Amino acid sequence: MQDEQIVAGLHCGEVLADLSEHLDGRLSLDRAERIDEHLAGCAECRRLLDEVTAAVRVVRQLPEEPLPPEVEELLIESLHD
Amino acid sequence: MIADDARVSDETLIGRIAAGDPSAFDRLVRRHQAAVYRFARAAAPVDGDAVEILRETFLAARRAASRHRDETSARPWLLSLARQTIDRRHPGSRETDLTSLRELARAAGWQSGEDGAVDESGPAVEAAFAALPPEDREILTLCDREYLTVDEAARVTGLPDAAVRTRLHRARLRLLARLKEGAGAG
Repeated sequence: MQDEQIVAGLHCGEVLADLSEHLDGRLSLDRAERIDEHLAGCAECRRLLDEVTAAVRVVRQLPEEPLPPEVEELLIESLHD
Repeated sequence: MIADDARVSDETLIGRIAAGDPSAFDRLVRRHQAAVYRFARAAAPVDGDAVEILRETFLAARRAASRHRDETSARPWLLSLARQTIDRRHPGSRETDLTSLRELARAAGWQSGEDGAVDESGPAVEAAFAALPPEDREILTLCDREYLTVDEAARVTGLPDAAVRTRLHRARLRLLARLKEGAGAG
């Protein structure tokens, strides 16, 4: 187990809290730059960001399965009852 | 089958539904049924409930069409009706997440000092997603599969924006942990 650290004036716990917001580009420019500085000097937080990014990418790539035909038929019929 | 005409906006279709046009209703159903079904399967706490949620959602949409106010896409509105249907069918089923963010991140390998493999194969991702709690599946479906904005996801779930952001972050960490578990077991 590694120790959390302060890099670029930010504690790992603060970066953890902002990681998804950073990934989604919702942080202010100042905050995003500070997080990037931390990430440049902290392998653990950088790895977590890379892995969360990968997890988000793969869940976005899940196929958009169509409605099963039998469900579609049942739905249309029942809506017109 | 009635072909959908993408040039006819959801807004126009909903206006026609409010005026009693059954073909407009069929078009709206066909345009959004797969997304509502996906959401119902993800967010419902009970397996096998999705078809009934789908049906009740569209019946509610037909009743509420005259009260619908201008939105570019009907999808967030339909998903919020689906969410209300789930709440009606399963009152009090939403779980409060008491796990700390650190705990979730550590379960995903943060601060472990080790590179863990993430299984990115389709079946592994589907299995990891299916194994998540319904609250996680719901927020990932809204934000990362349907690409709703935080504001739209907040309207669907009835949660404040800040709670949506927090839930999304937690769900992503739990998904990552599951993907790594899958890779470790494979």
